[in-house]
Parts: sequence; structure tokens; C-alpha cells
Amino acid sequence: MAVQDSTRSSSEGKSGDDGEDLSIFHAENLQNNMKSIYYSRTFLSIMGGVVAGIWGFTGLTGFVFYLLIMAIASLGLLAKAKFSVGNYFDSWNRIILDGFFGGLMSFVLFWTFAYDIVHIF
Amino acid sequence: MGVGFIAGVIGGLLFAHAAYATIQYRGMLKIMEEFSGPPTNVVIELLLGLVLCMVAGLAVPGKFHSILPDSEENRVVSLPSNLDFMIFNHRGSLSPFDPELKLKT
Repeated sequence: MAVQDSTRSSSEGKSGDDGEDLSIFHAENLQNNMKSIYYSRTFLSIMGGVVAGIWGFTGLTGFVFYLLIMAIASLGLLAKAKFSVGNYFDSWNRIILDGFFGGLMSFVLFWTFAYDIVHIF
Repeated sequence: MGVGFIAGVIGGLLFAHAAYATIQYRGMLKIMEEFSGPPTNVVIELLLGLVLCMVAGLAVPGKFHSILPDSEENRVVSLPSNLDFMIFNHRGSLSPFDPELKLKT
């Protein structure tokens, strides 16, 4: 009996009891989906940083541009999940907010990098 | 994954070309503080490269997998790993099933 429970719990997971009826889901697939959107957001932040640097944004304009890039990325991820978030993730926050600040750091890094190469050096 | 990867590479090349064009444009201006923006064709090139890289960034990491336990692709996976159900093949279907069959004596 103990062996059975351990093999079952390795592929399934429970979420918290907050009134949702989806209490058991495939945790390994959820982790893969989270990694996938993290990679996507980081890559798009880097590309957005390079564009902001080449274009010559300075100050607040660059951060507004970053918000725009993240909004478009969220839309793209929603479209990739075919607009039914419940099939692939356990909450909306994951697909909209996850990876926002990590992406911001990468964006600023590549923004200053590209700006230096194109405009200063 | 092939299409997304190629789109990303082309987007990267477009970025490199746009950066080089902007550097040349600045050198042509020769006024370091009057840079108001890159020329129009460079802006178009940047936006095109950004769109291509977006397509690449969304397509390369792979499809999303469903997390519901009763969806189509999650059904068969859990069956063989559960030791309660073992599937054997045997030739019992070939033997004649007739309760009245008696041995020939």
C-alpha cells in the first residue's frame, strides 16, 4: 500500500483547498509549463532590451516600452494556451505575472548594453 | 521547433543590421547630442525583427501540456506505471471453450 501511494503522488499533486473543484492535477506537466513561460518571457525581455537600446530610449520611455513588451508577451502566451488557462495552469497569476521582475532585470541589462554599443561607443 | 528557431535567427540578424545602420547614421550626423531617433527604415527593421523574435520566443519552448488528470493525453500514461494492472498476452482465446467436451476414452 505504501509503494502504491508513493508512485501515485510522484505524478499527481494537490492544490490548496480554496473552494476550487480542481484539487488534483499533473504536477510535472505544470512545472514544464511554468518553465516554458519563464523561458519565453526571459527571451522576449532580452529582445525588447536590445530594441530599446538600438532605438535610443532613455528614462521612463524605456520602462513603458518594457510594459508594452510584457503585455504583448502575456497576450501571446494566452493565445498559445488557447485562452483556456484552466487546462494548463492552476491560476491566472501564473500566466500574467510570473517572470515579470526577472525579465525586468534582463531587460535593463541588455538595454544599457545595446545603448552603449550603438550610441556611446 | 524548426520554424521558430529560423525565425529567431533571422530576427537576430535584422537586429544586428539595424544596430550597424544606426551606428553609421550617428557617425554621419557627427553631432553627438542631436540624435532624435534612428531613420525610418531602421525603425521598420527593428519592429520586424521584434515581431520575428516574438514568434520565435513563443514557439521554441514547446507546446503546453495539459494538467487535468482526465484529459486525453494524460490517460494512458498512468496505467502502466501502476503495478495493480499488469497486462499479459496468452493463447487462451485459441482453446475451444465447450463445457460438454469430454476426453476421448
